[in-house]
Amino acid sequence: MVKRSLAAANALLLAVFAFITLFPFLNVLAYSFSSSRAIAAGEVFVWPVEFNVAAFGKLIDDGQLFVAMKNTVIITVVGTLLQMAATTLAAYALSKKRLKGRKAFLGMILFTMLFGGGLIPLFLLLRNLQILDSFWAIWLPSLVSAYNLFVMKSFFETLPAELEESATIDGAGDPVIFWNIVVPLSKSILAAISLFYAVGMWNVYSQAVYFLNDSELMPLLVRLYQMIQQTSETLLDSSEASLIQPESIKAAAIVIAIAPILCVYPFLQKYFVKGVLLGSVKG
Amino acid sequence: MKVSLKRDVWLYLFLLPGLSFFLLFKYAPLYGEILAFKDFRIVDGIWNSPWAGFKHFDRLFHDEEFWTILRNTLLLNLYNIVFVFPAPIVLALLLNELRLAWYKRLVQNLLYLPNFISWVVLGGIVVTVLSPSTGVVNHILARVFGIDPVYFMVSTFWWPIVFTLSSIWQTAGWGTILYSAAMAGIDPGLYEAARIDGAGKARQIWHITLPGIRGTIAILLILQMGRMMDVGFEQVYNMQNAAVYSVSDVISTYVYRIGLQGAQYSFATAVGLFQGVIGLILVLTVNQIIKKMGEDGLW
Repeated sequence: MVKRSLAAANALLLAVFAFITLFPFLNVLAYSFSSSRAIAAGEVFVWPVEFNVAAFGKLIDDGQLFVAMKNTVIITVVGTLLQMAATTLAAYALSKKRLKGRKAFLGMILFTMLFGGGLIPLFLLLRNLQILDSFWAIWLPSLVSAYNLFVMKSFFETLPAELEESATIDGAGDPVIFWNIVVPLSKSILAAISLFYAVGMWNVYSQAVYFLNDSELMPLLVRLYQMIQQTSETLLDSSEASLIQPESIKAAAIVIAIAPILCVYPFLQKYFVKGVLLGSVKG
Repeated sequence: MKVSLKRDVWLYLFLLPGLSFFLLFKYAPLYGEILAFKDFRIVDGIWNSPWAGFKHFDRLFHDEEFWTILRNTLLLNLYNIVFVFPAPIVLALLLNELRLAWYKRLVQNLLYLPNFISWVVLGGIVVTVLSPSTGVVNHILARVFGIDPVYFMVSTFWWPIVFTLSSIWQTAGWGTILYSAAMAGIDPGLYEAARIDGAGKARQIWHITLPGIRGTIAILLILQMGRMMDVGFEQVYNMQNAAVYSVSDVISTYVYRIGLQGAQYSFATAVGLFQGVIGLILVLTVNQIIKKMGEDGLW
């Protein structure tokens, strides 16, 4: 009896935690569809009050958020492809024990995880390369994550060597073995790492703040930040009138920015977990 | 050597893009660190700018603002270790006791979600729900307790609390994955034996579950301590405002402001170098401690 109620209390407690985690999202979602009056009166919690889509209408008319979203899609698609190509190929090469200089390469890459050159030298380098104010300033400095590279390398090392040996005897070179044998066997890890890269690119923010000035190139989140700042300038004074309308527009912008992630999240979530567990096996 | 080069020419080609990346974007900037010892002038470039010795470090250590920033960085990290670090352990213990598989999966999926959302969005949401005039938290406080609006985001008392709670919000759920995996690896026979001996849930957790995940806790804790000098730019930048600079400004936001916005390249490089060197020392020390404890080191 005691055991039963303890289990029930535990289940309930976790439901409460899950609700607290979710509540801010639901609240903002409700704000985006609620009337200014209802928000100001404090009537909105997790469900829209006096439902309307005026805030979304304003954002669509304004259009800037969608230019920014287009930029983010380009950054994400191209960036993830570049990252996956560079990471997968390098991980495959480094997973081969016969490769001369392998230890040195691995040590060299490991060191970059421990010590970095800092922001300013990187900024000056990008300026010398004349790629500031272009998407290359986003793609190139984060082309390979050393951590993802090590995860993938360890995974390739677990593939049975016999498969490749027989292919080698049949005269297949490394490109053929890589493409026809290793890639098909590694779908789950490739999916997981692509997703980590894609989320990173979709969420790209600080690099854009550091390296992009041209407002035409702004990714979604930088634009969103500007909108949030514009409306929270008024945070310090509590005069209601100036705050009302911006609140629901801000909420609508947040909803637009996370909608794509929320749409794909339920389907891809299991790959993320798999990726973390593969990584923990030891990089 | 020649034979292996010919045999493995494809492997070297495969390695080329990745390796060039590390050389160009990770190693070449290390050369730029000498700026910390120079007075950088754009027209002269890095190499031809005049040497300045330890001038920038001297200024750094005598700069009151820098000590505030260092203190904030260390304090926010301390809160992180005391309050944010244990959260996923507690959550994982609770999740581990759930018997309904579908319910467990549902709760996990909901708890993982904030991990995938950028700080721009999370910060925007925090500001929205905590707004003194239109935020839902203040509405609830007013309605249930009759409290006047609290200005959470502009109060130097509340800001670090909000910052720490928001870290828990983002990371606690996702952080349970490694602990849950470690718990799944514990021999079920141990629990059975404990039950036969009459041990209750609390004692089973204390004597079996926690010792079973000790290694995971140790490694993650020490990794966390290795990052003591680092508070992420995005979280702070998206939650701070002029009213709370005195408790929220950290090294990453400082370097951005004086370096990129203020164009004091040499001084900002000195700050970054100081942070990097301390960080490296911490990681190396920490790895030694892991090994001394009999766990596998990080390398």
